[in-house]
Amino acid sequence: MTPVAIRLTVNGRPESLVDVPSGERLLDTLRWRLSLKGTKEGCRTGGCGACTVLVDGRSTLSCLTLAREVEGSEITTIEGVGRDGTGARVQEAFRAAGAVQCGYCTPGFVMALTGLLKERARADGFDALLEDLGGNLCRCTGYAAIVRAAAALRPGTGAP
Amino acid sequence: MTALRPDLAEKVNGTVRYGADLEAPGMLWGALVPAPVAHGRIRTVDLAPARALSGVVAIGAADLSKLVGGREGDALRPAFPHETIEYLHQPIAAVAAPTLALARAAARAVRVVVDPLPVVSDLESLFPAWPPPEASRSPAVAAHVHARRGDVEEAFRRAETVVRELYRTASVHQVALEPHACLAEVSGERWHVRTSTQSPFGVREDVASVLGIPESSIVVDGTWVGGGFGGKGSSFLEPWALLLSRASGRPVRLALTYREEFLLGRTTLPSVVRMETAVAGGRITARRVRLLLDVGTSLPGRDFATGYSIGFLLGPYRSPVFEVEGYAVRTNKPPFGPHRAPFAPQCAFVVESHLESVARAAGLDPVAFKADHLWRTGDSTPFGQTVADFGLPAALAAARTLADEWRRASVPGRGVGVAVGFWSTSTGAGGEAHLVLAPSGLRILQGEREIGSGSVLVGLAAVAERRSGIPRSRIRVEYADTSRAPYDAGVFGSRTVGALGRAVDEALVSLLGSLRARIGADGPISLAEEGEEIVVRAGERRWPLSELLTPAERAAGGIHAGGKHYGRAGTLDERVVVDGAFYPYTDFTGAAHVAEVAVDPATGAIRVVRYAAFHDVGTVIDAPSARAQVEGGVVMGLGTALTEEAIWSEDGRLLNAGLVDYRIPTLGEAPPIDVTFVEGYPGAGPFGAKGLGEPPIIPVPAAVASAVRAAVGAHATELPLTPERIARALKRPEP
Repeated sequence: MTPVAIRLTVNGRPESLVDVPSGERLLDTLRWRLSLKGTKEGCRTGGCGACTVLVDGRSTLSCLTLAREVEGSEITTIEGVGRDGTGARVQEAFRAAGAVQCGYCTPGFVMALTGLLKERARADGFDALLEDLGGNLCRCTGYAAIVRAAAALRPGTGAP
Repeated sequence: MTALRPDLAEKVNGTVRYGADLEAPGMLWGALVPAPVAHGRIRTVDLAPARALSGVVAIGAADLSKLVGGREGDALRPAFPHETIEYLHQPIAAVAAPTLALARAAARAVRVVVDPLPVVSDLESLFPAWPPPEASRSPAVAAHVHARRGDVEEAFRRAETVVRELYRTASVHQVALEPHACLAEVSGERWHVRTSTQSPFGVREDVASVLGIPESSIVVDGTWVGGGFGGKGSSFLEPWALLLSRASGRPVRLALTYREEFLLGRTTLPSVVRMETAVAGGRITARRVRLLLDVGTSLPGRDFATGYSIGFLLGPYRSPVFEVEGYAVRTNKPPFGPHRAPFAPQCAFVVESHLESVARAAGLDPVAFKADHLWRTGDSTPFGQTVADFGLPAALAAARTLADEWRRASVPGRGVGVAVGFWSTSTGAGGEAHLVLAPSGLRILQGEREIGSGSVLVGLAAVAERRSGIPRSRIRVEYADTSRAPYDAGVFGSRTVGALGRAVDEALVSLLGSLRARIGADGPISLAEEGEEIVVRAGERRWPLSELLTPAERAAGGIHAGGKHYGRAGTLDERVVVDGAFYPYTDFTGAAHVAEVAVDPATGAIRVVRYAAFHDVGTVIDAPSARAQVEGGVVMGLGTALTEEAIWSEDGRLLNAGLVDYRIPTLGEAPPIDVTFVEGYPGAGPFGAKGLGEPPIIPVPAAVASAVRAAVGAHATELPLTPERIARALKRPEP
């Protein structure tokens, strides 16, 4: 695997990375190269959603994405999502609903829900949108509090 | 407005650091060398090819004594096997390197030569004519338990109805999303490890036993935990990481991949249960239970699972005449390990489904039949323990009313089921807390890490608030490592609020007593926040706390007080024991659950439409956390009920070692869940609280199975209730 140089923007900050192995996953780039540990490593096979980030605004599994695939892209992680209006609303909804237990899945849920709301926030398709969170696993909450948090973000509810 | 959890903001912002996030300057990355067969005699473990790679440190069984200074641990199982491989992927050596990629390459480079031995993977293959008379003497049996009371044979002879059934349950994994991970750093005689664990003190004890070093040389510092569910209850990676750090002189990070989580996981393993019940005059007259429980490579004599579990197979029912016999069977799988209410959901599935069959055979209403036989407060269990303040009958009564309501509104293809489960919430394991009361607030210093349920950060603070009157915003629960914190056994057995909470409560009672003496009050006093300070109130009078401190206390940051709670272990009527060790349950609690399901008769697929849970909880300490525990436990139980099954091949390979093939419930599959707490039946915890971490998972598979039976008449006798098993059960409809 020939190492490559990669430029990307992470949470609004330009990053120039050198000597990145061509097989390096975006998850590892973020966690170990850029020390952005808020993005969580779960299964590394796309089965749990804990590593979800936004790539150019789209919800993306960073464990199944090579760093070199996102050359030139804008990456948003949990560390930066609060600077975005939608992301901040999602975080506040999770806080207000207490939709957190161990918290390991939380960054992935916040990122996935932020991405989904940005892509298609319409009140009529809201329940289908929630089902699209099926790729994010939580073992603690039974999803009940997460659904309560998400329900507060339904367009037209006015909150929060 | 209820106080929000103090860890919400950090967790939502992603700033919390878990074991899997640890790193240190100059750190090496560790990797484990997996055994290539499930059973075999080791001829060679040649580490030279790994050591030939630049920067790589490799250790195996031959290095153990040198690394720990010639001492031998007293653990029955050493860190690496010397002679025999017992399960596939069992770590037989470990390596560390400056990068993870190099560590993995080094692990692959280790040359292992093994003479394969016959593999035992399926417990039933060992006992084709089960239960065999001589089974207890088989070398495959790690433990044998046998208890009986009364003339069982005579009762079966005289019975009007006898029902005999065979049930099978599957292996389920904890699936905490954070993989096991730790960071070890050994310097001189100080063995330091940061790790994601439910029990820092338990890890310290285990490490001392495996490595043969004194506990005083070991410091275990728990990190935030990304889910435990029993899987992080004792040491796992820590001894290997510490040995690698000792060998390399560097900090070493060792973490499992998620695949390794499954391959090495200490989980609930499969079981086969034979149930027999005799009925006469509408009453149960005798029960007979025989259990084969797969315990993997659990060590002989160290198996607790069978004696602990088998009582759950009698259920919370009056059974004056009974016989139970259980065999813990060794197979070439990883050792059996605890999984939220270990084996109790499986037992509840078996006993609840079976008693439903018994009632049907006797022409009785199953729920009424169960309610008639349920333990009442003051009853004795089959093992002679007194059932004190038992709220389960009230919970079942409420569940029945709701189930009747749901049934009236149900439609064809759907069904409503009811099931109960019981739990013993006092482990007898102890703990201590150290409190510091200052004018600015209360600090609770202790040694448990919050694993997610809120029992530490919310539960202990809520106990303190309730006892003292200090608002939670002025109470801080602080964690310290094993070198600084008072001892506590850890977060398991639903014990945090019940046991450590009692220690906190005791310390507060002594603090309040001391304050009462200082102000000369004879009535009750309480604490409150006024402005920026804590004040002491007695009737209409108040004293700022700052004025009540001695100069020495001021210098020490406040009034210090310690509390301990070393719970009583239960007792057992030894006259019923024929052989083996049984676990004395105490402090009983229970839950009654109602499930409504829709079953597709063509495919056998089950959808849980709605769900309700009624829990005997003694006293609710924090309502939002309590509700969250039940919601989470129910959905975890739906996994056990519907999809979760670790499948091993005959040669001991785990065939579904990953989250794609081992399916846990997702958001779209979680039904709406109504949670009701039955209070007024106090337990041994502070203010009469009973543990709530484990009970919510227990009745779930049974409730779902009962609903499926009501919906389409399919009586499945094997967990999980996969579409295939339901479709097969539909081909043999119930009478």
